[in-house]
Amino acid sequence: RRRIRVLLVEDEEIHRVVARAVLRAAGVEADEAENGAEAVRRVRERVGGAGAGAYDLILTDKQMPIMDGHEATRQIRAMGVTTTIVAVSSDSLPSDVQAFIAAGADDFTPKVHAGPSNPPDQSCFTPE
Amino acid sequence: MVPEMGYLDEQFNQLEELQDESSPNFVEEVVALFLKDSPRLLSNIEQTIGKYPQDFYRLDSLVHQLKGSGSSIGAVRMKNECSVFKAHCNDRNLEGCRRSLQKMKREHATLKQKLESYFQLLRQVGPREHAVNSRK
Repeated sequence: RRRIRVLLVEDEEIHRVVARAVLRAAGVEADEAENGAEAVRRVRERVGGAGAGAYDLILTDKQMPIMDGHEATRQIRAMGVTTTIVAVSSDSLPSDVQAFIAAGADDFTPKVHAGPSNPPDQSCFTPE
Repeated sequence: MVPEMGYLDEQFNQLEELQDESSPNFVEEVVALFLKDSPRLLSNIEQTIGKYPQDFYRLDSLVHQLKGSGSSIGAVRMKNECSVFKAHCNDRNLEGCRRSLQKMKREHATLKQKLESYFQLLRQVGPREHAVNSRK
């Protein structure tokens, strides 16, 4: 069974450390990007000629330096990448959700932290 | 750690569930990151409050980071006070922001003390598997 390929996009170290542990508990080792620009670069590398193939899932924060989650989502979609993108953000007003969906995200989840007894909902993506 | 007087919520228990042999100090590491981030953010908030003209956008951004960091360890009182602060920012209520900041600083100092005592006690007690079972 193929391992799912996940990209975690998050600028704050504390959130990356917690997310890394939650994903590891679910059997997932994710690649990480500290801002939207790095996320776009990593996605471009994966889908390029010598790349390892598209990610199955991208989890992205909203507010990040250099490039935020909305813009990164737009640029990833503009590449023709159809990877499931889930926005993970503390800003969960309807306007925040709509902005992400308009940018091309598939789903939005508030940054209420998951743990082993509260695993993240994985029904929003299906690895090939 | 039993949520003590409402300082920590279920998130802290979730962090403890993530701790295992491969990451035996995971909870303390996450708390250390919070205690590294939070004084800097509180200081930046205080400096920004003192500036004129007021930059409520920056204040909101800083307290957003603090709220997120606190939420990561389950610091429910700090998280709630951050929400109060954000509401004052939204209302452009500088005096409200000032009052809220003082509360956040008090909450932070108390929480820091409790967390440091907790981890000190854990280190003294030692690993769980070495605990004596008096029924044996």
